[in-house]
Amino acid sequence: MRLGCCFGGAALHTLKLAALASPSSFPPSRSVLAPLLCSPRAALRFSPLARALSSAPAVQPAAPASSKDATKVTSDGPREFSAAMFFVAKPQWNASIDFKWIRDNKDAVATNIRNRNSNADLELVLELYAKMLDLQKEVERLRGERNVVANKMKGKLEPSERQKLIEEGKNLKEGLVTLEEDLLRLTDELQQEAQCIPNMTHPDVPIGDEDCSTVRTTVGSPREFSFPIKDHLQLGKELDLFDFDAAAKVSGSKFYYLKNEAVMLEMALTNWTVSEVIKRGFIPLITPEIVRSSVVEKCGFQPRGENTQVYSIEGSDQCLVGTAEIPVGGIHMDSILADSQLPLKYVAFSHCFRTEAGAAGTASRGLYRVHQFSKVEMFVLCRPEESDSYHEELIRIEEELFSLLGLHFKTLDMATADLGAPAYRKFDVEAWMPGLGRYGEISSASNCTDYQSRRLGIRYRPSEPPSSTTPKKGKGNVPTQFVHTLNATACAVPRMIVCILENYQQEDGSVKIPEPLRPFMGGLEQISPKSQ
Amino acid sequence: MRLGCCFGGAALHTLKLAALASPSSFPPSRSVLAPLLCSPRAALRFSPLARALSSAPAVQPAAPASSKDATKATSDGPLAKPQWNASIDFKWIRDNKDAVATNIRNRNSNADLELVLELYAKMLDLQKEVERLRGERNVVANKMKGKLEPSERQKLIEEGKNLKEGLVTLEEDLLRLTDELQQEAQCIPNMTHPDVPIGDEDCSTVRTTVGSPREFSFPIKDHLQLGKELDLFDFDAAAKVSGSKFYYLKNEAVMLEMALTNWTVSEVIKRGFIPLITPEIVRSSVVEKCGFQPRGENTQVYSIEGSDQCLVGTAEIPVGGIHMDSILADSQLPLKYVAFSHCFRTEAGAAGTASRGLYRVHQFSKVEMFVLCRPEESDSYHEELIRIEEELFSLLGLHFKTLDMATADLGAPAYRKFDVEAWMPGLGRYGEISSASNCTDYQSRRLGIRYRPSEPPSSTTPKKGKGNVPTQFVHTLNATACAVPRMIVCILENYQQEDGSVMIPEPLRPFMGGLERITPKSQ
Repeated sequence: MRLGCCFGGAALHTLKLAALASPSSFPPSRSVLAPLLCSPRAALRFSPLARALSSAPAVQPAAPASSKDATKVTSDGPREFSAAMFFVAKPQWNASIDFKWIRDNKDAVATNIRNRNSNADLELVLELYAKMLDLQKEVERLRGERNVVANKMKGKLEPSERQKLIEEGKNLKEGLVTLEEDLLRLTDELQQEAQCIPNMTHPDVPIGDEDCSTVRTTVGSPREFSFPIKDHLQLGKELDLFDFDAAAKVSGSKFYYLKNEAVMLEMALTNWTVSEVIKRGFIPLITPEIVRSSVVEKCGFQPRGENTQVYSIEGSDQCLVGTAEIPVGGIHMDSILADSQLPLKYVAFSHCFRTEAGAAGTASRGLYRVHQFSKVEMFVLCRPEESDSYHEELIRIEEELFSLLGLHFKTLDMATADLGAPAYRKFDVEAWMPGLGRYGEISSASNCTDYQSRRLGIRYRPSEPPSSTTPKKGKGNVPTQFVHTLNATACAVPRMIVCILENYQQEDGSVKIPEPLRPFMGGLEQISPKSQ
Repeated sequence: MRLGCCFGGAALHTLKLAALASPSSFPPSRSVLAPLLCSPRAALRFSPLARALSSAPAVQPAAPASSKDATKATSDGPLAKPQWNASIDFKWIRDNKDAVATNIRNRNSNADLELVLELYAKMLDLQKEVERLRGERNVVANKMKGKLEPSERQKLIEEGKNLKEGLVTLEEDLLRLTDELQQEAQCIPNMTHPDVPIGDEDCSTVRTTVGSPREFSFPIKDHLQLGKELDLFDFDAAAKVSGSKFYYLKNEAVMLEMALTNWTVSEVIKRGFIPLITPEIVRSSVVEKCGFQPRGENTQVYSIEGSDQCLVGTAEIPVGGIHMDSILADSQLPLKYVAFSHCFRTEAGAAGTASRGLYRVHQFSKVEMFVLCRPEESDSYHEELIRIEEELFSLLGLHFKTLDMATADLGAPAYRKFDVEAWMPGLGRYGEISSASNCTDYQSRRLGIRYRPSEPPSSTTPKKGKGNVPTQFVHTLNATACAVPRMIVCILENYQQEDGSVMIPEPLRPFMGGLERITPKSQ
């Protein structure tokens, strides 16, 4: 189930937003600056060209056939030249990608790209990188020559000699300007191409498609029912817990009102979850739900394009968050943390908004897949050597929470082809949903190592040099390193409501409330049919 | 403090979203179909023109100077056609012309009553003329059914053709006129409760005062300083990630928000309200029907790119929409809802000292009460709503006063509005923390929410058959139960202690795992 190039590796049914994987499946034979029209990232690719054009004052955008077409051009970007494109086109930020490491580990990176079903074009990246290095050398050489000429001119000279030097200097300068522009263009293109390379993969991750994912743990077993069971939609209808019809009129399909006990259930779920995770040493947060598009991109999501999962705000560079991972990832953006601050463990509550473009079918019934939902998300920033163990801690917390709620679930080590670009390793939790008659994803825990921190610019200064590297530049300042980031769902409310309704339904049509939630619902023990 | 025409009567500092009041301050001498270019509603006014153009296949839109302009043209284009009609009682307006005119003046509205009446008269004339022509056309058609001389038939065919052409033109005019009448009349504000003080905001009268400002024996801090020292929010990170006036709540502030919303919803449920969690993305038309202006330069509303959807500025909008376009049974009324949602506002044009810290922000959590009831009951539910607010804020131990807001401070939908202003010692002033409005049938006429009385109201004598009682528009009311950030301001500033800690109000403690106070972290 591939939707456009940018959602390469990530299956759409995942609770995590599909993260950008790679831009296109074009053959590597394409020329360096050829526009890739069908790529959702084409707008970015155009950047050097667009910049060149925008500096030419006489350029006239082609008159659109109708104003409707004009809009399309603007929002889709690159098909035709348009003023808006020039704004979209310029890359807004650079990821600190370790090109040298990629070059030196070419085979491992190539294998990884293949295993992850990514369309990243490693050959092109290496080619661009080599060209960039050459161009850098050439620019350095010309700068040197220019300096030599400039120094010569400081002395006393024959007028003809001086004239010659002036000529020479002018030529050098002109050549430099051209080369520097080329370098800028090349750097931009390298950046765009390299951003498509997915994170490396943990050696224990099973290689292959989703069905290669391995089960780590199984907790409980499917409940046996002695009566005909209902799915959450029917239960919700009979107990008057949600209203999809009114929401379809007011907002659109896949929106909903929660009603009556479902409201208290949501509040109890979030309040209980946050309280439980705080007990485990996490800092609670309530986050902004509108963020700059650049932060969305830096977390590895694609805020634009035809199949984007992201709602954008009209007339601004802002988006709605699809997960609190984005605003929490952004808190320490562009900063250097002290070693003593790490690890930073956050538990964040937010509403999440997703277009769910392209999602349809039976897996989308009722509350299972919706445009807006409440979620409690854990997020950890830590030292690189600790991220594997925090990944284990996060999945353990998830397992504890879902066990306390009495759910039957299994934990999976997700196979390479099912990983989004940022994830180094991902554990999913799938719970039994008897009404739907299948396991459904209720949470996910990812170790993103330095993929996000290299984009968000989050470093730390180790208190002492890690043993592996010998500090050469002076004994004083230890060099900074990128932190590792991890994220994990503690509670995605609608899917938890699905689980609770379907697993805790009683023969009389009522639904029991799991014990831990009762204190957060004024002691309510069960949801009973309203007497009309 | 006027910001553009559409926010005429509503001061921007109100917690309620400014509701649309009237479109322009143009002199009434304007010609009927003249485009009002500077009006934020101009796009809508243009509708007849746009429709006329769109039916002419050869019409070529003027080539836009740049694609940015083109985009603007396109996005304005589909907007031009009015998406919905309010069931406005034009006859009542005409028959109560003086009262309506006085009301428009009292509310500082720019609605153009003369124009509305002029358009209405024209429309009635045109309707008559259309009827007359239709009649003539029918006469001609009937004549042609008989046996006729060829010359006579030819004459009738001619005549019929002329009549038909005339009719098409007139019907187009009628459509255009109806649209314009609708747009102009939508700007007329609701009528006003006779007890509402007439005048500007400072004419608002105090209904109740509860408590008195707490006396402090130590130098007090404002909520920003307290929040910083107690590590409760982060505006700086939010400014980088999202923009100014966004924030992260942190540590105990998170639990405080959850406790506030959970406690408030529980309290209001006890009073017989149905709890809801609502969509926060809604169609623009629903926003408009609730009396808000989703477009225009100074709109408070965030729009979703590439769709006709907006973010809600208040749960009043999605709750108002639940029963849109439906007829309720008498037995269903009153419907009392208590809704939790996040609210999003651009706060365009809001600046200055009143905007410090959590006082005015782009996103916040709010618990909102909403009532749909029979017309004769709305005054008493208005009293019930303000009483609930007063109870809640008293339980939290706040000092506040309740105001009956003056005419010029009412948004277009409100028939009457009670505001609650609480003492914020750190800010050193009273600040609005909630508001309760009776919108009578202003919103229900736009949202199309009627009910069928079980027996005819005594005032009207049913003439059309004895069977079906005619439907009536319900009345709607809305009232803030808890706007979280302002409650946090109140709690931090009023409950601060000399040692820098903040006590948690008793009722909230069970919702915060028994936490009694927020103490400075030991770093």
